[in-house]
Amino acid sequence: MLTVTDEALMMAVRDGDLAKLGLLFERHHAALFDFLTWMTGNRSAAEDLVQDIFLRILKYRVTYRDGGSFETWLYRIARNARADYFRTREPLEPLGVEALSRPEPGLNPMRRLEADRDQARLKRALLELREDKRELIVLTRFRGMSHQQIAELLGIETGAIKVRIHRALKELRDIFLTLSDGNPSCDVKKSTRTLQII
Amino acid sequence: MRCEEIHPHLADHLAGSLLPDVAEQVADHLRGCPACAAEAEGLQDTWQMLGTIGPHTPDSTRMRARFAASLDGFQGGLISGPPEGGPYIVTRRFSRVSAYALQFAAAAAAIIIGIAIGRQTAPAPATTPDAQLTMLRDELREMRQMVTLSLLQQTSASERLKGVSFTNQIEQPDSQVTVALLDTLMHDPNVNVRLATIDALKPMSTRDVVRRGVIDALPRQTSPLVQIALIDFIVEKNGREAADTLRRLSMDDMLDAAVRARARQGLQQIG
Repeated sequence: MLTVTDEALMMAVRDGDLAKLGLLFERHHAALFDFLTWMTGNRSAAEDLVQDIFLRILKYRVTYRDGGSFETWLYRIARNARADYFRTREPLEPLGVEALSRPEPGLNPMRRLEADRDQARLKRALLELREDKRELIVLTRFRGMSHQQIAELLGIETGAIKVRIHRALKELRDIFLTLSDGNPSCDVKKSTRTLQII
Repeated sequence: MRCEEIHPHLADHLAGSLLPDVAEQVADHLRGCPACAAEAEGLQDTWQMLGTIGPHTPDSTRMRARFAASLDGFQGGLISGPPEGGPYIVTRRFSRVSAYALQFAAAAAAIIIGIAIGRQTAPAPATTPDAQLTMLRDELREMRQMVTLSLLQQTSASERLKGVSFTNQIEQPDSQVTVALLDTLMHDPNVNVRLATIDALKPMSTRDVVRRGVIDALPRQTSPLVQIALIDFIVEKNGREAADTLRRLSMDDMLDAAVRARARQGLQQIG
């Protein structure tokens, strides 16, 4: 079955068929929300920003060019919206790892705490990572963007992006190990297995 | 390949996007260099662990409702888009309205109300067209909506409370006001404002978006007072679609006992 591409939908929006934006919203709002939740540490802010981004698309739709990747354009708008959001507001107090996830009600809190320990530690490490490094990891690992796409989005050489991703991952791992019961020599493999069992 | 040349390739190595000939060179180096091999293995572990983290799931129902209201507003010419250099969110539409603008809106509303009262109390000339009155009512309604939306964005809880109360004076509030109220119910930090919002939403309970919004808000509330008020709302409006939510709440040990009991009772009441 043929699927209409994002680019074709966006060109229709640009040419006045605004209802097509609904399809793009359906395709991208969840991924954008995830990206922005990681980048703001706050679900409410992320939700507001997604709305803001789609309104910006409406306003600036004529600036979308034929042949350009819609996803790259979308995330460029998202980065600007996020930067503007914090330019005009007090810094948000991050909700923290527990609040970022939405645990199912009814589970024993102690059991939940035990089971989610390693994953929570990695999430915490990610939140402690410097913003630009966190963004690289979120884009490449959670959003599945290619290095070339990230390079285009950030306006940096692809080679430089690869080096930065390597450094960001290394730093993330260091923070994770430091958080692992304060024991830097903690076996990461063991943690990985625990996560897979969960 | 030297150690420092390996690093740029490790990102591709993890993503599985290395070209075959480069992959072979990297593998050769890793076999002969325990330090780089250990580093690659550690990064591989971290990379895999990241893969086990699920995405943050949005409340798509609410987001769709907000998006639909924004799109309607844009198409209807009510919204011109985000201001330059700042974010734009439909329920934050008047977040940048200055105190002067708010005062102006209130003054304009007062004038229109005055004119409307004057027209109604004065003997109507035989030639007064009904269309003029209809137009006046529409203008009054729009003005009230604007004042309401402005008040809901104020930092003072008492001002927001006024905004919530003001919705009672609007005949058939439009989707912008409805969405703003649902947003207030979901996010306002003040319990009294949230409680007043529940009352303000009651006359709109026939709208699907309101019923869904109230049900969605219930598990997110932390105040037992608000939780019980929402359950009351659902029971009063015979919200059978909330049965699953009430059932989950009634079994949630983390909740206040009174809330659990009210959820159980509510479940029985809606049958």
